[in-house]
Amino acid sequence: MNLMAEILLNVLIAFFIGSLLFGLQRKVMARIQMRPGPPIIQHLLHTLKFFIKETVFPKTAAMPFYVVITLILMAIWVAAVIIGPVTHGPLLLLFAIFAIHKIVEHNAGSSSGSPYGKLSCVRAVFSAAAELPLFAVLIIIYLKTGTMDLAGIIAYQDAHGALLLSIPLTALMFIVLIISKSYYFSPFNITLAKDIISGFETEHFGTLRGFIMMSESITWYMLVWIFLTVFIGGLSPIGYLIGMVIVTAVIGLINAITPILNPNHSVMAEVTLAFIGIVGSIAMIYI
Amino acid sequence: MDKLKGVSWIIFIISVFAIIYALIFNPADWIVYAISLVFIPLSVLSLGLISMAQGTKEDEEDKTKEPFIGY
Repeated sequence: MNLMAEILLNVLIAFFIGSLLFGLQRKVMARIQMRPGPPIIQHLLHTLKFFIKETVFPKTAAMPFYVVITLILMAIWVAAVIIGPVTHGPLLLLFAIFAIHKIVEHNAGSSSGSPYGKLSCVRAVFSAAAELPLFAVLIIIYLKTGTMDLAGIIAYQDAHGALLLSIPLTALMFIVLIISKSYYFSPFNITLAKDIISGFETEHFGTLRGFIMMSESITWYMLVWIFLTVFIGGLSPIGYLIGMVIVTAVIGLINAITPILNPNHSVMAEVTLAFIGIVGSIAMIYI
Repeated sequence: MDKLKGVSWIIFIISVFAIIYALIFNPADWIVYAISLVFIPLSVLSLGLISMAQGTKEDEEDKTKEPFIGY
């Protein structure tokens, strides 16, 4: 297939599937809380709805950075789609993209001029101290497989079995990272916690909010895709779909039954889990 | 706001042409990556800025010129 067509197709799939998975997560949470909940398609409709709403640029916003930061968010996750499903490139680049995502959260919050955004901006720096080590547990993958290339990791699992079974602690740490990026009431997503309204997104309204939500759907799809590829191996499209539904439903369950933590507790819990994951996984490999 | 719509239309048309160029002429991989990273986000955002609703002139003053009172 033509490379551009392949990229466009994968970005569209990432957006639609990511949006539906967020809808599913919300549905699972509602059912656990004995509510009917919104339809699964609701998050997708919500995203598209914002594109026909009026967009107001606050007087206090740092223009044009206030708009450009939303473009950067979309660009980095389009890059992730290219590195992941399209080319099966290096895992290290995906780590770099996640690091830039934290910088985008920080700058989106600070560019709006809103106190809620600025508080979220501070929390983005704070949470980076926990989320980057959690992503870095993927270094364990290198110790185990001898490669950081997604194609190499898939080939290793074809020969030796799923990494989920041989280094389960590393997989668990990555799940904690995915929880921190779930949209609805995550115990670890302190940058979008409801005590600061919508965090760094508070002042991005209308088209810009829809655009950010679109990027976040791609983010969710890609994080779950990385988890399935790195810990289970290359799956068929149906295999990926089933895996994504299971991971999203499990995370919806976790979000529904855990309290919203305050930022200190959230970050300390993540750092502790990252430490346990790194030390435990190295011990499992070498002892 | 009309200036914004005008600029959005120009960016949208350029983005669509760039994407179509990559689809039809199949240039080198690095050019396709560059077009994807720059023009996919730009096309979506510019389309959004074109399709968004516009408030009335009277309301616009209140929405944009009012000082941010929550500060």
